Amino acid sequence: MSIELVHTIIDDLGGLLLFTMILIVAASQISGAIYAVASQSLFIAIAGAVLATATGNVDLWVIAGITLIVKAIVLPWLLLWVIRRMDVKREVEPVIPILATLALAMVVVVMSFHLSASLDTVRQTITGNALPVGIALTLNGVLVMATRKTALSQMVGLFSSENGIFFTAMAVNKGMPLIIEIGVILDVILAVLVMTIMVLRVRSTVDADIADLDRLRG
Amino acid sequence: MVETLIWILPLVPTVTALLMLTTRNRLILSGLDIGGSSVLAVLTFILAREVAASGPQAFGVFRIDDLGLIFLLLLAVLTLAVSIYTVGWLKQAVEVGNMKAETLRYYFPLVHAFVATIVVTILADNLGILWIAMEGTTITSAVLIGYHGHHHGLEAAWKYIIVTTIGISFGLFGTVIIYAAASNVMGAASSMSWSAIMHVAPRLDPGIVRIGFIFAMVGYGTKAGLAPMHLWLPDAHSQAPTPVSALLSGILIKCAILAIIRFQMITAAACGTAFPQQVMLVFGIISVVVAMPFILAQRDLKRLLGYSSVEHVGIIALGFGFGGAVGTYGALLHVVNHGITKAIAFMAAGTAIARYDSRDLQSIKGLLTVAPTGATLLMIAFLSLAGVPPFSIFISELMVLRAGIGHGDWVSIAIFLAMAVIIFAGLLHHAGAMVFGKPTATASREPEALSPLFAMLLLAAIMILFGLTIPATFDGYLQRATEIVVG
Repeated sequence: MSIELVHTIIDDLGGLLLFTMILIVAASQISGAIYAVASQSLFIAIAGAVLATATGNVDLWVIAGITLIVKAIVLPWLLLWVIRRMDVKREVEPVIPILATLALAMVVVVMSFHLSASLDTVRQTITGNALPVGIALTLNGVLVMATRKTALSQMVGLFSSENGIFFTAMAVNKGMPLIIEIGVILDVILAVLVMTIMVLRVRSTVDADIADLDRLRG
Repeated sequence: MVETLIWILPLVPTVTALLMLTTRNRLILSGLDIGGSSVLAVLTFILAREVAASGPQAFGVFRIDDLGLIFLLLLAVLTLAVSIYTVGWLKQAVEVGNMKAETLRYYFPLVHAFVATIVVTILADNLGILWIAMEGTTITSAVLIGYHGHHHGLEAAWKYIIVTTIGISFGLFGTVIIYAAASNVMGAASSMSWSAIMHVAPRLDPGIVRIGFIFAMVGYGTKAGLAPMHLWLPDAHSQAPTPVSALLSGILIKCAILAIIRFQMITAAACGTAFPQQVMLVFGIISVVVAMPFILAQRDLKRLLGYSSVEHVGIIALGFGFGGAVGTYGALLHVVNHGITKAIAFMAAGTAIARYDSRDLQSIKGLLTVAPTGATLLMIAFLSLAGVPPFSIFISELMVLRAGIGHGDWVSIAIFLAMAVIIFAGLLHHAGAMVFGKPTATASREPEALSPLFAMLLLAAIMILFGLTIPATFDGYLQRATEIVVG
């Protein structure tokens, strides 16, 4: 594959990633947000495969595979299972109106592109627009975590934040060392498991949703 | 020999944790707890002597220099003291039902798994490993914070895991950005090794390193409890079981500071010392200012100590922000002094809370009458936290102040001094109200348990020693660590 073609594909995928990001921020139903983040992970896996073909780096194939299995299939399935198990009736419960969050998300995207436009030299090491898209995804993931009350929405925000980092990391030169990427994914899996256990535990021991926990102040 | 030590060190708490899974007996568990911590401490001291004799040592993704050694020594001492403290604390906690006997077999292994992840963060040379281990500390300690299983504990644990995971993802992004900058210079041979990046640091692109540093600072700063990212800290510190609070405040937040120092050094080499110092100063000032009102108006004893940690982490950041040999030395000394002192404070607070069965500052009164030794320890810990001479924190705060005067940043100095004075008054007011006066009728009059007192006296001895004089060997470590940071 020629370098130009890789750049074009990565940029197209970046556009799709931003689109799924908007779907996550705008989702009024938690299951919608989960499907959006799953497809986002799928695009990340495709980006990994494209970069693997272009650079001939076998490690990237492994990372793309793990991303596909763990982030696009297993973890979203786990979240959907929790929804069924807990019979979740409460949806995303935004702290500020979704429209306002969307506006903020747009500001974040514009700022990310503006920021990385000033970093010309590093453009050589990061393929296409992976840096601004990565920054935008990470910051918007944080935005979702900060503006939603329910546990599952916060976890979706976490996934998309991690996705942003992975997208940039894949596009750097030849990607991060494999062992580090695997360690990071392992950490994410562990964190999600612990969070899931906590959600179930809060439900079973104090009979409340995470969103109701607001007694610690001052 | 030294190389073997480096990879054995993280294995010690790991093996201890695995051994603990095989038993349910509380005595055996406590024995393993103290045994594992002692082995860790002994090995750390041997490693410290080796490093002093033959300089920094590296083994694979691990590396130890005098800078890391300071944190490692603090960890070893605190872990041992906490293990000793746990014996008496646990007996009481099980009796009143705060800790359930059947869940103990998971509590001890989790503590040691937590210690193992901290050891890896200190030893990590590879910035990726550093991040992985740091997220590992979040996962293990989140479970420990919610261990009591009541409403408040679970809320604190959830807030902790969400806020620090958000923060730490910024840290990972910062790491990726710095790595991108380094691989731009190093080309195919690029690695995430901190020492390798330091070699090429002067040739890195300043613009991208600046952005990377901001991300890393916000990320690891969240874990360090710097304001305004400190939101998890008072909740987590106050709701965790007391031995865990001591470890969180004593060493965990300091390890995040170590990670920040690593990034600060890369940034200072790439774009001059002024920029990272300015960033540290801003976060330091905000932390000291934010902590002040919450310390004054606080009603919950352990939350009070949590906010005091925010203040002291702020002072550490100020020390690095003022920079220079004096500021850096003072900040590193403050890391140790605050770690030791805050551990005593949490331990003494934990026993007082158990005695009064309340964490409300207004119901803890007349501690001196019912528990003279514990009350004295609580008092001197508070005096030290407030910055009263001859205790250790006074010395390091003075050094930070001296560095600020050398730096000539009068606005920061004025704010720092004003806050220090107000917090001094607030802490002494709270401590006086707890220790003196007539004890409430509900206060338990039982004799004081021995093992917690022994642990606190051990730490208090170090605290007082460091206030009077810094031992020559330790001074050597601090001097060399300062050289590493300042360059």
